Amino acid sequence: MATRDVLVIVPALNEEESLGPTLDEVREVAPWADLLVVDDGSTDRTTEVARARRVPVLRHAVNLGVGAALQSGFRYALERGYAIGVQHDADRQHDPRDLEALVAPVREGRCEVSIGSRYVTRTDYRTPLFRRLGMLLFAAVVRLALGQRIADTTSGFRAYGRRAMEAGLDDFPRDFPDAPLLIALGRRGFRFVEVPARMREREAGRSFYTVGKSLYYPYKNMLASLMAMLRAPNDGERRS
Amino acid sequence: MEFLSRAQVITAVAATLLVLIVLDLVRRRRLSEEYSLLWVASTIVVAVLGFSTPLLKSITHALGILYEASTVFFFGLGFATAMLLFLSVKLSRLGQDHLTLTRELAFLRLELERLRGNPPTPGQESA
Repeated sequence: MATRDVLVIVPALNEEESLGPTLDEVREVAPWADLLVVDDGSTDRTTEVARARRVPVLRHAVNLGVGAALQSGFRYALERGYAIGVQHDADRQHDPRDLEALVAPVREGRCEVSIGSRYVTRTDYRTPLFRRLGMLLFAAVVRLALGQRIADTTSGFRAYGRRAMEAGLDDFPRDFPDAPLLIALGRRGFRFVEVPARMREREAGRSFYTVGKSLYYPYKNMLASLMAMLRAPNDGERRS
Repeated sequence: MEFLSRAQVITAVAATLLVLIVLDLVRRRRLSEEYSLLWVASTIVVAVLGFSTPLLKSITHALGILYEASTVFFFGLGFATAMLLFLSVKLSRLGQDHLTLTRELAFLRLELERLRGNPPTPGQESA
């Protein structure tokens, strides 16, 4: 059993530059949370950077995808008895000062998943047009599937309760854990709350979402969303 | 005696060669018996079609195809498609297995480091 009940899961792929400051910042602002880095097959010093800060590292020997990295984090959190798992990017896009507000709705039992959203209130984050269009599209898809409005379906800043993490172990998109995941969780009856969150521009490293993936992303997410709608809500409870 | 057409000879030689190659791959354990079945079966079907003129003619007629060669290609393509689909399914399964193994390895490695006393257990990291 963990002494603290919140685990901040930081999936990282070749983030040796920004991972260190990210971890330092989380630790400084949220000393009440434990940290876990999931190194998703990095070829740089990502693992060493985390180890130097005495943060536990789950290291995938090969790259499996953001979704798979997050899922490994869920398994770790569940095995060690954490009540809440927070997904937190390693590229300093998220502001750990928002962690407390993000965790609160899950802790208070108002929802199983809370989403740190760029669009709940005005923030100074500027989204590229192409990405913005995609977000609108998938917000519409999620709304259609669940009847619930989620403004920022692509946010990588989320808090999950234990039941949501357990469901996440059963059925999880391996690459992009966005709209299809929300639809799969929503269809199992989980509730979502969106919390305003500050987003910053990337400072170093490379985004998970590269140019090649930006073409594949809409196709994959559309198909996966459709499949999540067609499947029975508790389908997939056997894998992993 | 009726001589074999050039196409029939080519079909016979190609099919025999392919079956021999497949069987040899199995012998050298480079191809599992499971996968060889589809290859051998498809080769035999296409070879029989290419070889037996009456059979080919009747099937072509029954399917409403105008030209016999198209029937051979039709079956060949059908098998190729089936094989590719089969492989894609297998590949997806393998991808899932590969994910499970990689994850298992990551957890074991973390546990091993912990047993060796490297990184701390959670709750002590800031100490």
